[in-house]
Amino acid sequence: MSGSIMTMMIGISTFLGALGLAALIWGIKTGQFDDQSKFIDGARFDNEDELRDAIQMEEKKKRAKEKAQKEKNYMPVD
Amino acid sequence: MAQVACTHCHLKFDESVMIIEKSQEETLYFCCKGCEGVYHLLQDEGLDTFYEKLGKQTLHPATQSDDDLSRFDLEGFKNKYIKTNSDGLSEISLIIEGIHCSACVWLNEKVLHQTNGIVEATINYSNNKAKVIWDDEEIKLSQIIEKIRSIGYNAYPYDPSLQEERSIKTRNEYYTRILVGVFTTMNIMWLAIAQYAGYFSGIDAGHKNILTIAEFVLATPTLFYSGWIFFRGAYYGLKNRFVNMDLLVSAGALLAYLYSIYAMITRTGEVYFDSVTMIITFVLVGKYLEVLSKKQASDTLDKIIGTMPTEATVVKEGEKTLVSLENIEIGDIIELKPGEKVAIDGLLQNGAASFDESSLTGENEPTYKQTGDNILSGTICLDSVIRYRVTKRAEESLLHTITELLSDSITKKPYIEQLANTISGYFSLTILTIALLTFSGWYWFNGSFEIALITAISVIVIACPCALGLATPMATLIGVSQAAKRGILFKESRMLETMAKSTLLALDKTGTITEGKPSVIHMNTHEGFDPSLLLALVHSSNHPVSQGIEQYLHDTYDDLTPATLTDIKSIDAKGIIAHTGDISLAGGNISLMASFGIPVDFESSYTLFLFALNQQVVATIELQDQIKEEARETLTKLRQQGMKIVMLTGDHEASAQTIAKNVGIETVYHSLLPADKASLIDRFHKEGEIVVMAGDGINDAIALAKSDIACAMGSGADIAIEVSDVVLLDDRLTTLADAFSISRRTFAAVKQNLGFSIVYNVITVPLAVMGYVTPLIAAISMSLSSLVVVANSSRIKIKGNS
Repeated sequence: MSGSIMTMMIGISTFLGALGLAALIWGIKTGQFDDQSKFIDGARFDNEDELRDAIQMEEKKKRAKEKAQKEKNYMPVD
Repeated sequence: MAQVACTHCHLKFDESVMIIEKSQEETLYFCCKGCEGVYHLLQDEGLDTFYEKLGKQTLHPATQSDDDLSRFDLEGFKNKYIKTNSDGLSEISLIIEGIHCSACVWLNEKVLHQTNGIVEATINYSNNKAKVIWDDEEIKLSQIIEKIRSIGYNAYPYDPSLQEERSIKTRNEYYTRILVGVFTTMNIMWLAIAQYAGYFSGIDAGHKNILTIAEFVLATPTLFYSGWIFFRGAYYGLKNRFVNMDLLVSAGALLAYLYSIYAMITRTGEVYFDSVTMIITFVLVGKYLEVLSKKQASDTLDKIIGTMPTEATVVKEGEKTLVSLENIEIGDIIELKPGEKVAIDGLLQNGAASFDESSLTGENEPTYKQTGDNILSGTICLDSVIRYRVTKRAEESLLHTITELLSDSITKKPYIEQLANTISGYFSLTILTIALLTFSGWYWFNGSFEIALITAISVIVIACPCALGLATPMATLIGVSQAAKRGILFKESRMLETMAKSTLLALDKTGTITEGKPSVIHMNTHEGFDPSLLLALVHSSNHPVSQGIEQYLHDTYDDLTPATLTDIKSIDAKGIIAHTGDISLAGGNISLMASFGIPVDFESSYTLFLFALNQQVVATIELQDQIKEEARETLTKLRQQGMKIVMLTGDHEASAQTIAKNVGIETVYHSLLPADKASLIDRFHKEGEIVVMAGDGINDAIALAKSDIACAMGSGADIAIEVSDVVLLDDRLTTLADAFSISRRTFAAVKQNLGFSIVYNVITVPLAVMGYVTPLIAAISMSLSSLVVVANSSRIKIKGNS
């Protein structure tokens, strides 16, 4: 086996592994693994209803934020 | 009678006591009004799929809490727990009580999501902590809590910045560092295998070089990123003039790394990048386990702090106002309603009531207090409205001091760490000195700096991994697993060492030496006694004495069914009265009998329970808290092994002395409050003792946290278990003795292993010094020495089984 092929193989496999590692670390830093049980049990309650619920919550959040923004930027007409 | 399951909580009860509801298709059974209410609420809201998700799980029956909700909207409470985030929304961290399974989490989240004004609600499945964000203009916190209560759960606020945020941060930090370490170690291993294979069967120099460079690339982040914790630890150790394990790990790894770089560049000798990553990764995993155990302790502490009241009702010039604790002055009059927790210490001024003091003294019986008695914070007023005068400020009150002491002890435990570090400290120092001497010796005689450095480094490399990596952990690992098989859980392996060195054993009385519940030792019956009537009477009460009698009746009489009673009334601190037909029943202590004018000429040194039918005493029952089996033998054995044994109890002198005499304890400290127990432990420390404390209650928690080794009984209070280092699952004192013997054997094995490692190093190091250590010899001698250490440690197991 030539040296260059070996270098390439080691390089690529290590790089791919490092990508996976980076993704995992990103998951930890953003708190996705803070709750071990949710990780396992959460899948049991994951269906259409939950998705709809999540969307609803997002909208609610957006509305609340907008409302807060409006209040902050409110200026009486002159 | 047939038992049926409650439709809501799935607990099984007799059909006769259930609330039965018939609808078109099916019959519904409920064990209580609470469960019924929750069931219908869920049906109405369309959340009945909860029961599908729940499966066969059982819940606690839904209790309707009548605790005052208004405290959640008070100013003092808001300042303490509610944060306002950048969008102007309110945010709070809550602990949800009553969650059993993931379906409960689902239900809580769902209900909160459907509530208007709540913008975000996430509940952690593992520790039941929730974060809720809401719009204060649309909904109030008290309404949110009410919503949670309406579905049968309860919520307490807690302050996450105290413990949690910090411990989550450290945990994540360790986790990331370990992941990097594991990843590089795994990759370096397969590169190293190729390299070793090449060493034996020949390898092209160019190929070897590629492998070496790849290993170098992988080892670098491990040493400097994952190993950063050791460099930091070594630095702080040196700053405090303290040679610790961190120093040896970091020095060994760093020198091996530097040597390997040197070997890589000059293409002489072998590289040790694989050792570098292995040392760092394995030792780091060990450290991480310690961090985990600290996190759990902080979860429990949050629960206690969360139930602490933030306000109290102050009566001034006839007007009642809620005042937050910080603003209450000494001399203020506070009104206390039944069920309320005392927030601040004081002196009872008006009225009389029973208090649940179990959180402080560990004794289950309520204490009756009258005008002029001391009221302690943390206790709960049980039955009537009283007024008391404040004698201490909030931050000096008992409850506050307890939580303060606890959080201190969770964050730092310096005394133990010093003890555990002595051995590894000496060991590290020895090896570093030897390496230094080798270096100066070679430099002196040979004159070549390069050769001197390489030999010195090879000394550390050959000594470091096996001796340090295995000698202690191997023995403690086997010790801990042996202990676990006998129902003894050591939270940290190094506790074995401290326990083996301990000189004094302090025992709590109730629940540790005794069973913690009174049982009948003697019953005298007279004419007219009917066991089924007595059973019905004691069945209606949760008092430990009643439960003891109920147990006794079930044991003595076969097929006893309780008679039906009417007008059951419990008279606090005295007993219970009831009627059946035209017979009046009364059961309780002498003062209950006296209040009915029933003459009793009977005296007993035990707890006495009298049972009267129609003003006539028909049974006298004597009860005593039973001493645990084999308590005397075990304690005698421990004393023969050189342990000093003392008893610490919150109980009064007479009963403490009786128990102590029975089990053969000479030194007794009685009538102690939690803080007294802790200060006694401090006193023992000053006298030079290494203290093992065994206890089970919240009242023991501070003393447990202060002692070198804290032993909690498995059935004890959560907080006691959390602050303890050792948990005895079966609550037996013989198990405690086993824990001592296992820890002593383990410590002996650790010493032997360390001794062997040092002897091994004394032999191999000169060889390394003389340049005889080729990688082949190093590999063989290293694995051989490891095998010896493993074999020696296994002896703990063999002896343990005999």
